[in-house]
Amino acid sequence: MSDESSQDRRMKQLWQSQPTEGVRMSVEQIQAAAGKFQRRIHWRNLREYVTAVFLVVFFSYEFFRGGDLLVRTGFGLMIAGIFYLIWHLLSKGSWRPLPADAGLSSCIDFQRRQLVQQRDLVSSVWRWYLGPLLPGMAVLLVAFWHANPGHVKYPSLVVLPEAIFFAVISVAVAKLNESAARRLQRQIDELDEASRDI
Amino acid sequence: MNVGQIESMSQTGPSQDSQFEQAVVLHGAALERLARAYEADQEARRDLLQEIHIALWRSLKSFDNRCSLRTWVYRVAHNTAASHVAQRMRLKRQVFVGIEELLFLPDRVGSEEAAGQDDALIRVYELIHQLKPLDRQVMLAYLEGMDAASTAEITGLSAGNVATKIHRIKHVLKSRFQAQRSEQGGAR
Repeated sequence: MSDESSQDRRMKQLWQSQPTEGVRMSVEQIQAAAGKFQRRIHWRNLREYVTAVFLVVFFSYEFFRGGDLLVRTGFGLMIAGIFYLIWHLLSKGSWRPLPADAGLSSCIDFQRRQLVQQRDLVSSVWRWYLGPLLPGMAVLLVAFWHANPGHVKYPSLVVLPEAIFFAVISVAVAKLNESAARRLQRQIDELDEASRDI
Repeated sequence: MNVGQIESMSQTGPSQDSQFEQAVVLHGAALERLARAYEADQEARRDLLQEIHIALWRSLKSFDNRCSLRTWVYRVAHNTAASHVAQRMRLKRQVFVGIEELLFLPDRVGSEEAAGQDDALIRVYELIHQLKPLDRQVMLAYLEGMDAASTAEITGLSAGNVATKIHRIKHVLKSRFQAQRSEQGGAR
């Protein structure tokens, strides 16, 4: 017998004979824990709903208060954008438990699916996070410009810094997400490489 | 009652609960070792093990004998643990390496830390905790004594790829433990 195979055996024996705590969960305990888990998800989703409702109430108040059509359009667009954003987060981005058929997927398939889902979420940040809010913000900035000709001598000087601020934040968020998407794509490529036969 | 309903009734195997109990009796200890290989922190490890048990119980509703119970248990456990690690990676920006890179990394276990009876085990865990999930899955399957075909079925790697990775694992283990033995020999 070679030295390598005896080392193999020693290593496997060492691993398999290590003491374990003998953790045993009864089916009742599992069901109770699964219920607790589910409640945690509900609470988390509820927090997201409450935030959305708060923002929608605030913008709705502004919508009905503002007399100007442009202002109303801006707040209306903001409300629509928030609805879309929250729907997207809850349907695609929220934490969900492991799918019940996780045993049907090999580890590579499962990990790949998860990475692709995350990559798509971060790479489409313009479409679901920044994009839906931009029309409302743009219209509100224009509305402010139009509404204050008498009060401010150069309204563009007031609007411009805000526009630049929003643009910088948007570009920074998009860049960060682009970099995260590239990192995830590298991990996907690694998995594809590993799953190829050699 | 139509033929399909009669067939599906006759194919109904043991219930979800009894299959879960069977899985835990047969693979409970291996699941504990697996959780330990994915999570070094004791408290987080307990949570992970509980998460694996819950995922396993939920998943057994869909278990249809398309693969063995063992393959199913390991897939669910690894997939749950890999999600756990991925989440931690995002939070802590932790970086993992492949098996081939392990050879070039220094042994992080100090000789004082590894001086007890479990020094070899501490070193093995230290190696595993640095590995990327896929390589970790292959190493664990190897240590649990699975053959290349079973490992391939669980991980989704080709049998050839599994064999290559196991070869590298053996090489890493050999070089690490030979170095340890020569250190100990030199100290005497």
